[in-house]
Amino acid sequence: MAAQGGILFQEKVSRMLCKQNGKPVLKPNKPLVLKDSVTSRKPKKGEATCITELSVMMACWKQNNFVESLCSKEMDDFYSCVGKAQASMKNTLGETTLQGGRLTPKQTNTLLKRHPTLRFEI
Amino acid sequence: SGSGLQIKLIGRARAGSGFNTRGVLAMRWSRYNPYYLEPEVRKEVYDKPETELSDEEKEEQSLKALRPIKAATNSVTSSVFHDPVISKFINMMMKHGNKVLAREIMTETLELIKRKQVEKYHKAPEGKREEIECNPYAIFHQALDNCKPVVGLTSIQKGGKYYQVPVPLTDNRRRFLAMKWMITECRENKHRRTHMYEKLSQELMAASMKEGNVFKKKIELHKMAEANRAYAHYRWW
Repeated sequence: MAAQGGILFQEKVSRMLCKQNGKPVLKPNKPLVLKDSVTSRKPKKGEATCITELSVMMACWKQNNFVESLCSKEMDDFYSCVGKAQASMKNTLGETTLQGGRLTPKQTNTLLKRHPTLRFEI
Repeated sequence: SGSGLQIKLIGRARAGSGFNTRGVLAMRWSRYNPYYLEPEVRKEVYDKPETELSDEEKEEQSLKALRPIKAATNSVTSSVFHDPVISKFINMMMKHGNKVLAREIMTETLELIKRKQVEKYHKAPEGKREEIECNPYAIFHQALDNCKPVVGLTSIQKGGKYYQVPVPLTDNRRRFLAMKWMITECRENKHRRTHMYEKLSQELMAASMKEGNVFKKKIELHKMAEANRAYAHYRWW
């Protein structure tokens, strides 16, 4: 679909560059060529996990003067929460497709590296 | 010595390669092809009858018949006395690769703990004898468990300033911290003319009773984390 609109697009660009109909719209100082890589996205800043369990456990510590045997239930809750959070982190790390059926920037870059824009005709 | 271990003796052109001067080919620390599988040392895995294996385990076993397997390190054994925690502790105590000395210290420590506990056992009245733990391995594990911190503090930058944020730790990190504190405490804060095994045994027995400097260090870390609990939201993972 990009190939069909490609010729029309090229004609539009050349019309913007030419000086026949008054001043040109574009005056590029570098050749109008796309790069062979995509900028990587900033990883989304998540929220801190297990804060409620952490605060409950610390309140229990404060009450019992940091004697841990009295706070075993809160500590077990905290550990289970941390384990779940780590498991979910592991699952989300190896995801291949973003939402919307698009590729990750890494995958896009590998594909573009395999098929770069030709700089020379030789 | 790292680069030397990775060089294999190939061809007669190399000087001094008329015969294998090392005795064994140093293969373990050379980088294995990722195709190689890890060796399975534990006996229980092989004692399981065929019927009890799940599908994944059957697949793994069939894979092991086809793929090459890495050489096992010298430190792993299939004996009943093999304890990975104690092996890790010995490795952390080791200096300049002197594993023999580190193992000696560990065995002397365990022996000394046993002696002290047996002495206590025989001196105790009949009613109190069941409470005294004579197994040095149990005391070691109990001491380490008592010294493991639950949360750690990391430095996080926010708005130009650095804050100490309480953060949950992985199991490996907690175990490492407990062992590291134990070893540094014994090396630095004791009288210099005592042997390492004496210092270690004292500190391990104190930690198993929830006393001693290492336990105090853990409690202080918890107190710091509790004091900084307001900054817990600065974490983003």
